[in-house]
Amino acid sequence: MEAMQTYNLTKTYGNKTVVDHINLSVKKGTIFGFLGKNGAGKSTFINMITGLIHPTSGSFEILGHPAGKLKDIQQAIGVLPDYSTFYDDFTALDHLKYFSKLLHVPFSKQELIAILERVGLEDAIHVKAKNFSFGMKKKLGIAQALINQPEILFLDEPTSGVDANAVLNIHSIIDEIAAKGTTIFLTSHNLNEVEKLCDEIAIMNQGVIQKQGNMKQLRDQFSQEIIIHIQHRMITEEEQQQLKTGLCELTDKLEIDETNSEIVVSANGRIPQVNKWFVQHDIDVFRLEVDEPSLEEIFLQLE
Amino acid sequence: MFTIAFREFRSLFTSIRSILIIIVLFGVTVGAARLVRQFEEQLQELGLGQDAYAMGLMLLLILASPLFVTSIAHNVVNKEIADRTIRFLATKTTRNRIIFGKFIGHFLFWSICLTVALLLIVPFSKSFAILDLLQAIIFVSYFIGWTLFLSTSITKPALTMFLGITLSIALPILGLWSTGTDNWFIKIVGYLTPYFYYTQGDDSYYAYLVVIFPIIFILGSLLIFRKRDL
Repeated sequence: MEAMQTYNLTKTYGNKTVVDHINLSVKKGTIFGFLGKNGAGKSTFINMITGLIHPTSGSFEILGHPAGKLKDIQQAIGVLPDYSTFYDDFTALDHLKYFSKLLHVPFSKQELIAILERVGLEDAIHVKAKNFSFGMKKKLGIAQALINQPEILFLDEPTSGVDANAVLNIHSIIDEIAAKGTTIFLTSHNLNEVEKLCDEIAIMNQGVIQKQGNMKQLRDQFSQEIIIHIQHRMITEEEQQQLKTGLCELTDKLEIDETNSEIVVSANGRIPQVNKWFVQHDIDVFRLEVDEPSLEEIFLQLE
Repeated sequence: MFTIAFREFRSLFTSIRSILIIIVLFGVTVGAARLVRQFEEQLQELGLGQDAYAMGLMLLLILASPLFVTSIAHNVVNKEIADRTIRFLATKTTRNRIIFGKFIGHFLFWSICLTVALLLIVPFSKSFAILDLLQAIIFVSYFIGWTLFLSTSITKPALTMFLGITLSIALPILGLWSTGTDNWFIKIVGYLTPYFYYTQGDDSYYAYLVVIFPIIFILGSLLIFRKRDL
């Protein structure tokens, strides 16, 4: 079943099309990463799906609920907007009480405190939001998105501006929630984070989705060669000649290090054959490192 | 809806500005009632009777309630938009409920303030002016609705503050002027203010017609807010 499906979803401001006829489907239970430069249209897309912005044209469904069924959608989703402030006069706990009442979620005080503890706000339960740091506000934003135990969680830049420990904590929360079957729709500028967490990724640029797929599919689309760094024992000139002749049949690219102890080959998926060649010619291999393109490299290739 | 209303209501009672307004409201009401008691016989002769005790409150409301309401409610919606706290509300409840909740919160605040103000007169007048209370609440509702509409239509709180204060001064002047002029433009403006309806005599039911205005203002706010991108 699809957790979310959009049909030609479009948003224009005057003559500028920010989101351009996007057809996107997100499978239930996946962590979906949404990537793009600033101004690519990611937040506008999320804001349309979550009911904050009206689409110019097109429509969408969330868990089978059409866009017009806002109440059903609100009960099923949790949203961390891209940038938000909180009520200065409310404590962290007051916020959760207020938001849970708005959603008609019958949470006890202890349950709300447990959510705050889970996001790392155990020391700020009774602290007013006006005294919160940016990172604390981000954590509270995640906490409020969790109060209705959503089936789909929209996280817009959940780790931007938070310290390394908090990032790890947020990652573990995402993993934990995803393990329970919640679909997570995540936007981030941190490409490593998306690569680490997401099952499927869409890359958006100038309002359109340029590429979509899992990491393997994206790598296959963007890099025809897999580079293997092989560290081996020192070899003689005769062995080096044999190596050149032998590996030329298996690879298009062969670079031999000056010290004759490391070679770089483009294997195109023929890693076992390359490895076997070394074994057959009795050349000890100390290290074999497969250098696949990272999401960052793929992302940069799109620019 | 009532969650938002209660939040508004509670925050109004804890704001310094609101507390100052409550002090002025209660102070003027009690002060005027004491003054009336000193001239009770003369006022009875003039036929003002028990109504004179609530006169101070009514006069204060007629002249200053636009300013009072505007000063505490000019940013009732657009502050949430500017601060982006609205995003938490709009992803959890409907926009209709946000607007109704905001109105109800302010309506309750003023209803309670006016009720208490009139209760403070009871020791002097020995009676509770229920019709005066009703009319006072309707009068203030006009300005709550109007301020809500302004705050929904204009996204910048500083601009609604400026416009609110300007119109709060202009409206009573235009409204009262319209009751004694033949200028057709001022007369038309007068029909759009509550002042025309509140100056049609004690026994007229015109004052109750003013209730239509807050309804129009709320409907206008809903129309705008439902279409607004947050």
